[in-house]
Amino acid sequence: MFNKSKPHRVLPAFGLSMGYTIIYLSLIILIPVAVLFLKATTLSFSDIWQTVTNDRVIASFKLTFYTSFVAAVVNAIFGTLIAWVLVKYQFPGKKIVDALVDLPFALPTAVAGIALTTIYAPNGWIGQLFEPIGVRIAFTPIGIMIALTFIGLPFVVRTVQPVLQDFDRQFEEAASTLGANSTQIFFKIILPTLFPAILTGFALAFARALGEYGSVVFISGNMPMKTEIVPLLIVTKLEQFDYAGAAAIASVMLIFSFILLFVINFWQWRIAKKHQVA
Amino acid sequence: MGITIENVSKSFGEYLAIKDVQLEIPSGDFIALLGPSGSGKTTLLRMIAGLESLDSGKIHFNGVDYSNKPVKERKVGFVFQHYALFKHMTIFENIAFGLKVRPFKIRPSKQEIKERVYDLLKFVQLEHLAERYPSQLSGGQKQRIALARALAVEPEVLLLDEPFGALDAKVRQELRHWLREIHEKLNITTIFVTHDQEEALEMADTIVVMNQGQIEQIGSPDQVYHHPVNAFVYRFLGRVNEFCDSDNEISYIRPHEIALKKSAQGNSVPAKVLHVHSVGSLVRIQLNRLDTNALFEAEINTEKYQEIGPLKKGDLLYASFSNLVVFGNEQKEPLTAIL
Repeated sequence: MFNKSKPHRVLPAFGLSMGYTIIYLSLIILIPVAVLFLKATTLSFSDIWQTVTNDRVIASFKLTFYTSFVAAVVNAIFGTLIAWVLVKYQFPGKKIVDALVDLPFALPTAVAGIALTTIYAPNGWIGQLFEPIGVRIAFTPIGIMIALTFIGLPFVVRTVQPVLQDFDRQFEEAASTLGANSTQIFFKIILPTLFPAILTGFALAFARALGEYGSVVFISGNMPMKTEIVPLLIVTKLEQFDYAGAAAIASVMLIFSFILLFVINFWQWRIAKKHQVA
Repeated sequence: MGITIENVSKSFGEYLAIKDVQLEIPSGDFIALLGPSGSGKTTLLRMIAGLESLDSGKIHFNGVDYSNKPVKERKVGFVFQHYALFKHMTIFENIAFGLKVRPFKIRPSKQEIKERVYDLLKFVQLEHLAERYPSQLSGGQKQRIALARALAVEPEVLLLDEPFGALDAKVRQELRHWLREIHEKLNITTIFVTHDQEEALEMADTIVVMNQGQIEQIGSPDQVYHHPVNAFVYRFLGRVNEFCDSDNEISYIRPHEIALKKSAQGNSVPAKVLHVHSVGSLVRIQLNRLDTNALFEAEINTEKYQEIGPLKKGDLLYASFSNLVVFGNEQKEPLTAIL
């Protein structure tokens, strides 16, 4: 990066573009995050510890990570399936289905939350089908997972789709001349090729779900200890003018998220390195 | 394994890729499918492998109808032009793949697979690469591994689609000899596709010349080179000069068959030198016939060049065309005419 014997570059303005990158990232990400941590430190360490180990806070941490993880796994599986269908088959209305995938990005999340709640509430279209068999969807963790699955849907589809598009048929053909059947070709050849892309999509969907607020607050019911997510807890603290407490919870959330994303990225980097070393 | 191809046709939409092809490949033969791009040679190879379906006709392996047999049951080894090595697997895993995907009953044990893979790696002389990934190998190494992988499943036919097309000239030359040796050792029926006539002439026992989805000629390298049945084969198999006479009849001669002299002799024709360039042990000379004003190329070795040369642009030489070949329009027998 700071190589003294400068090799010739196509774009000569390395200093300028690097400087811009650092300033930009600082303004948009680093400084706000630093201020967050700074705000949290206005509390004493024991106060912070008390705030974040409060039963209600711990319960919401568990709920947020658990529901986000499940939603990201669901998206990884079904997002891959959708990408597969969109790439491998030709059918009428394919363009519309393709466009539908991006809808969760375009829709205000609160609108999505209200729509999902209406449908999945005990007297809603789908909710009433589950009510007689004793399954409640809205106002339970299942409802939260559905909302998080909804908002995270595009990530896996959009990361897997191009990889699948570029996947050369000759690998499938080579495997079949070596005697592999279609199940073996899928699990031993195609899936490992898609895996880094699926992992990227998973990480993005997971990260997005961890921070989601708008759609969840409507469908979750926000019962303390049961269906209260971390972002809601933070907002609650803010409404009570407990800025430092909110910052403390947010900081812990941020550290956990960062560790998780770092681990996933490292894993992915390892795979990519293995396959692409020149 | 002997292969019989009977009246096979194939079209892609409107485009007729293979037109009623008949071909008998004896067991243990080393065959080249030679033709320009779009001649259908790769399609024919893929049909033998089962990677492409037939529209009509039949393909028999040792007399058994294989026309509708799935790829994985055909016992063919297929080598792709761009290697198609599995990038997420090590070289060892790539070669072991065909053995590992076998149904449980006929799958060799882990130890047996390991031994077999190392035998093959030794066979292709790349034992030290077992734990590498394909991205760490050179093109020539990749193609050798691709061949080892194809051989791991003990195929009865080896099919190679432009196997050296993506390699540089020197590596290509090495691998030609190497593949020929492997064929001699294993004596397995081998069919390879190429558009390079030199490669076909150098390697194959039998050359099948294809054009526009049809077979133009089948024969030994000697036969197709020295006794081409038509103008297409003649022109495709080497450098060629074309002369059109007053009756609009086209006659052909290869550059090395033209004799050049300093002085007129018999029925030689005066010609003016336009350009001289030496290519290794050969010298190629572009000339202009003074009688018809036609351009042509002659090829002589360096010793001969020293006899008549050095030449420069504008020098006058006498060329005799003693071996002109004329193909009648519909006639398939080569005719030799003397000027």
